[in-house]
Amino acid sequence: MNFKTKHIVQSLCLCLILLVCAPCAPAKADSEAKIALESCIGKVMNELKKPEMKNPATRGQVLAEIEKIIKVLFNFPELSMRAVGPKWNSFTPEQQKNFLDAFDDLLRARYLDRLEGYSGELVAYTGETANAKGDRMEIRTEVTIRDKIVPVAYRMLKNGRWTVYDIIIEGVSMVQNYRSQFQTVLDKGGAEELIRLVRQKAEETRLQKGKG
Amino acid sequence: MPPPCGQIRATRRRIVSGKTGSMTKCPPLAATAFLAALLLFALHAQKPAFCAEAPASVPSGAVSSLDEDDLDQAGQIVYDPLEGFNRAVFEFNDFMLEQVARPVHEAYVFATPDFLRSGLSNFFHNLNFPVRFASNLLQGKPLAAGVEMSRFILNTTAGLGGLFNVAQHHESFVPVEDEDMGQTLGVWGIGEGFYIVWPFAGPKTLRDSLGWAADHALSPTTYVRPWELSWGLWGVEVFNDLDKVLDLYDTLKQGAVEPYAAVRDAYTQYRRVRIGK
Repeated sequence: MNFKTKHIVQSLCLCLILLVCAPCAPAKADSEAKIALESCIGKVMNELKKPEMKNPATRGQVLAEIEKIIKVLFNFPELSMRAVGPKWNSFTPEQQKNFLDAFDDLLRARYLDRLEGYSGELVAYTGETANAKGDRMEIRTEVTIRDKIVPVAYRMLKNGRWTVYDIIIEGVSMVQNYRSQFQTVLDKGGAEELIRLVRQKAEETRLQKGKG
Repeated sequence: MPPPCGQIRATRRRIVSGKTGSMTKCPPLAATAFLAALLLFALHAQKPAFCAEAPASVPSGAVSSLDEDDLDQAGQIVYDPLEGFNRAVFEFNDFMLEQVARPVHEAYVFATPDFLRSGLSNFFHNLNFPVRFASNLLQGKPLAAGVEMSRFILNTTAGLGGLFNVAQHHESFVPVEDEDMGQTLGVWGIGEGFYIVWPFAGPKTLRDSLGWAADHALSPTTYVRPWELSWGLWGVEVFNDLDKVLDLYDTLKQGAVEPYAAVRDAYTQYRRVRIGK
């Protein structure tokens, strides 16, 4: 094959590759938000796969490690404020602090302590959307749990760096779900009642977990 | 809105690894049906409608919701004028689920082999094909209706009357979401109305209640006679799949400070998203 033909064949191949790849996959670098999310999910998956996770004696250390990773990615104050909604501003600073602690505790009891049964789920990234200003993003993923594909989206905002402020599972926003509950409680009993109920629920969830 | 094409491709890629060997021993009828199904699929493949309809990577609806979820914007709670009544029914349903249905269903799971339960589940899902087919057509989704038709033909023949979901692991089927008449009414622009918690049937909006009635009108089991058998079949269908309901209910109740509000919100959020799909 002479030089010219080789050149033509190479160009043709390149054209073909471009044609095949172009329509649905624009060659775009990963967004900062996605990189942050991906690296964190990857780290959590690595922790979950560790043999220490299977051993009840060492599981606590792994969970503590996972909590550290999650705390970097998740913006808990932001998430909690959004869950309370507009009434947040009527809380006293002390009530705000108490609420943050109680809600943090509840989410830990609900999610982190239940990670035991999970390991090595498949996470596929399916798309992302940015707002007009470019300081908020939604990263969509699909998690495969026991043969079932569950769509999970992460809402992230940029405040220096990208952090997660809401998770949307099967189209249901966690923040909005809590907000609708908190609104009902706040309408009836106010901030103190809400803090009391969140504390009580965290306790209950932990006990249930101990039983199961 | 149909899922963006990236999503479909990713899902399809995973499905490719599924089993396809089961097709080799098909009877001639099944082979014909399979050919028909392939033909239908080829028609879809000609025009990648799902990709074409979805704006490449930025669905506009999602952008506006990202901008709208500000702190000062309360989540839109569904109109609930019957709250007092609904809460009472919610408590009743909770009692029936936890104290009656759960123990009975656990015994059922213990006593019945997995393949029987999944077979029954597949059978009823396949039987309710008219609901999904009509809903797709009425929502102006002829391609998804075609996929449903192909799956129905394949599962009814090669899947032995629907007991086996052969199409599930077949790469030639684009995954489609289950459509129902409640979603159809939503797509037509009919408002969700108010929230009702039905005894046994659980949470619905007024729109979904009407859709639910229409679903029953489209379901073959409704026309089985005598009526006792028709109701019995419906009971088996619901009871057999009850573990899914129980799992979902557990997930919603775990960590919920106000279970009634949590379920009401999760239900409406989920349905609103489904109508958008």
